[in-house]
Amino acid sequence: MMKNRKARSASVMGGVGLMAMSLLIAPSVVNAAVPTAAKPKPGAACKPLNAVSGTGASALKCVRNAKSKKLVWTKTATKAAAFVAVEPYKAPAGEIEFWHWRGEDKAVFDLIISNFESDNPGVKVRQVIMPSGDYTATAYAKIRTNPKAAVFTTFRGSQFAQFAPTGIMRDLTSEKFMKNVNPNGRIAGNYQGRQLGVPYHYLFNNPVYNTEIFAKEGIKLPTNFSGVLSMCQTLRAKGYTPMAWSGGFRPQAGQILNSMMMNAFGSYDEMLKAIQSIENGSADLSTPWFQEMANKYAQMRDAKCFPDNPTGVTDAAATNLFATGKAAILATGTFSMGAVKNLNPAMSGKMALMSLIATDAKPKYVGIHNNTFNLSVNAQASATDQRIARAFLSFLLHPEAASMYANGTSQHVNVLGVTYVNVDLLNTSPFQSKATLLAPRFLFLNQGVRDLLEDALIGIVGGKDVKSATEEASRLIKQRIG
Amino acid sequence: MTLATTTAGPGESTGASSPSPKKARPVYRPSDSPILYLFILPALLLFVGLYLLPAVNSLRYSLTKWDGIMPSQFVGVENYTKLATGDDLFIKVLGNNLEFMFWVVLFQTGLAFAFALLLVKNTRANVAMRTLLFFPTVLSSVSVGVIWLFLYDPNFGFINNTLNSVGLSRFAANWLGSETTALYAIVFTQVWFHFGQMMVIYIAGLQQIPQELYEAARVDGASTWNTFRSVTWPMAIPTTAVVVAYTTIQSFRAFDLVYTMTGGGPNNSTSILATLIYQTAFFEFKIGYAAAQSVVFVLAIFLVTWVQRRVLRTQYQV
Repeated sequence: MMKNRKARSASVMGGVGLMAMSLLIAPSVVNAAVPTAAKPKPGAACKPLNAVSGTGASALKCVRNAKSKKLVWTKTATKAAAFVAVEPYKAPAGEIEFWHWRGEDKAVFDLIISNFESDNPGVKVRQVIMPSGDYTATAYAKIRTNPKAAVFTTFRGSQFAQFAPTGIMRDLTSEKFMKNVNPNGRIAGNYQGRQLGVPYHYLFNNPVYNTEIFAKEGIKLPTNFSGVLSMCQTLRAKGYTPMAWSGGFRPQAGQILNSMMMNAFGSYDEMLKAIQSIENGSADLSTPWFQEMANKYAQMRDAKCFPDNPTGVTDAAATNLFATGKAAILATGTFSMGAVKNLNPAMSGKMALMSLIATDAKPKYVGIHNNTFNLSVNAQASATDQRIARAFLSFLLHPEAASMYANGTSQHVNVLGVTYVNVDLLNTSPFQSKATLLAPRFLFLNQGVRDLLEDALIGIVGGKDVKSATEEASRLIKQRIG
Repeated sequence: MTLATTTAGPGESTGASSPSPKKARPVYRPSDSPILYLFILPALLLFVGLYLLPAVNSLRYSLTKWDGIMPSQFVGVENYTKLATGDDLFIKVLGNNLEFMFWVVLFQTGLAFAFALLLVKNTRANVAMRTLLFFPTVLSSVSVGVIWLFLYDPNFGFINNTLNSVGLSRFAANWLGSETTALYAIVFTQVWFHFGQMMVIYIAGLQQIPQELYEAARVDGASTWNTFRSVTWPMAIPTTAVVVAYTTIQSFRAFDLVYTMTGGGPNNSTSILATLIYQTAFFEFKIGYAAAQSVVFVLAIFLVTWVQRRVLRTQYQV
């Protein structure tokens, strides 16, 4: 089976035909609510503008034909044009565990694992899946005492920072399979110059908008902060809730913090230092950049961008508002699109990403991406198990398996040579070529601090004045880190 | 193995209900046969392993600075000093918990007692009603939290929709999204969830009151109120002590309901000690500090329960 795949993947990395075959042999992994697009081929009609069919040498781009004025798939020189994927390693016989928190990906992983096992006779990989909250809370203690957990995942940010200094993650810097990983998407798994994790996901934490509503009402996407405010007012006037925003659920409410911060600093380092200075107590929330950002939250509140009673809106209610067409924008990211389609399958193909730009100056960034779901090899596993683990990682990071994962789960991946045929992945793919910033929210490594900071912003949206909300949060943060 | 016996001495009672001298019953003493100690060993091991050692360990960790991964560092009573003097969030949360407990104990006990009085007789209608009121208790707390989350939704929820449709819009509120109402909304849910269980305990207690006392009160011409004041209530005090103590502990442990409904928000206005400890330990990775919070948590339960018992004992000799 692997020989066949090798032959094909050598010529066309993650080719569409192969992808279609993978989907054919694995109907169970293709969710009914995740339709696939027609096979992209040069000259065929496509949408949306600037969609990219993948990250491989044969990837096509959706551009407007100069003569016909129609959108058609066009061959384009991509950065990955010279890319040749590193083939998966061979694994010795044995059994390992793969620990992660994405229960919704189980079926797709089952299929990938069965392919891996058939390519490596005598190998068995067992998935151990925990809910994300439990995983955050207990994964380290469980993995540390279980050397069979040879492959495990961590969230970008505080959890990766918790694991990295302990020596439990094997250094993957010199692994050949790292060549299959997008060079710009490795930083989230890097610790003090060593590659201890491989970020598998390539998410967009940008608001998702309902293309049908915008087209029907003739509303253009805003390109600056004034445009955002006026868009909110226009949508309100037309009877829509502009942004489905769940102020009652901090983890999702905090997603727009990424967009609000992305153009607030001259450089990424400057942003990192600003965040660190809050976390180490050398600055508080009265710092100018935070005050300016908090005032913008207040301006958006006053422009009625948020739902009524915003602080009481739960994640489910916000998703429902958007899925039922009552709200035009869902202020979360690509990872929520699956839930929207589950609620209303008719939303499939009607969602695209938009920029939430919080400046009227020329923006440096127009969007947010995040590389998370860090895959690591347990350095405490036996030598044989580590070899199996590295082989399994090399398999997951091969364009073929990565394409299968991406299309089966509606997640963009951080792997080169991948082909997307999932219509929602194609719809959001234009953002891959835009200037996006690695989500700054996860630069906060102390979640206690981030929670208090986000509570202040939620309070402002709920009606508190900026000064009192930030003063209270500053006082609590100082005590929390003291 | 020797057999020891106990016998009642002259003038000693061997049991209030036994009119005749009771036949001596053999009593086995462990000292008679050390092998008898082995019978308590499984329970003892479970107790030591699952309760005593973790409790002692918590106490030990509370004197350290530890992130759960790197080696811990002994800091003496620093964690406790900070809790008492430099952590407004902890004080706020402790206050939330005490307020939550106060309202839950008041309403849960009051309602349970009131409904127990109404439904104490074993008629078919009463039994059906008891079943209905007891029903929420069998639900999982997460299900209850999710159900009430939908009911309380400020924009689509049943409560606000009903208020709006009957012209009472001014009473509609952002129940779980406002710092002024969120805690009370969860109090209401907690009371709804558990008062049926307490009602059943009360009914069991009320049915144990000897009917002779009511007959005597009737013969003495006591009014309904006087009968309640002099017979029912004093006789229900031991049950009340149990209900109050249980409800108090329950209200300190309402983690799942709070976590499901608000996650402690908005702005920590519904955080209780259990949610704060979880947050501190597993999201901020301050295990030592969380252990100190846990010790205070246990002491708070102990103190409140002790005060309650003292008050009831002083007045009614429970």
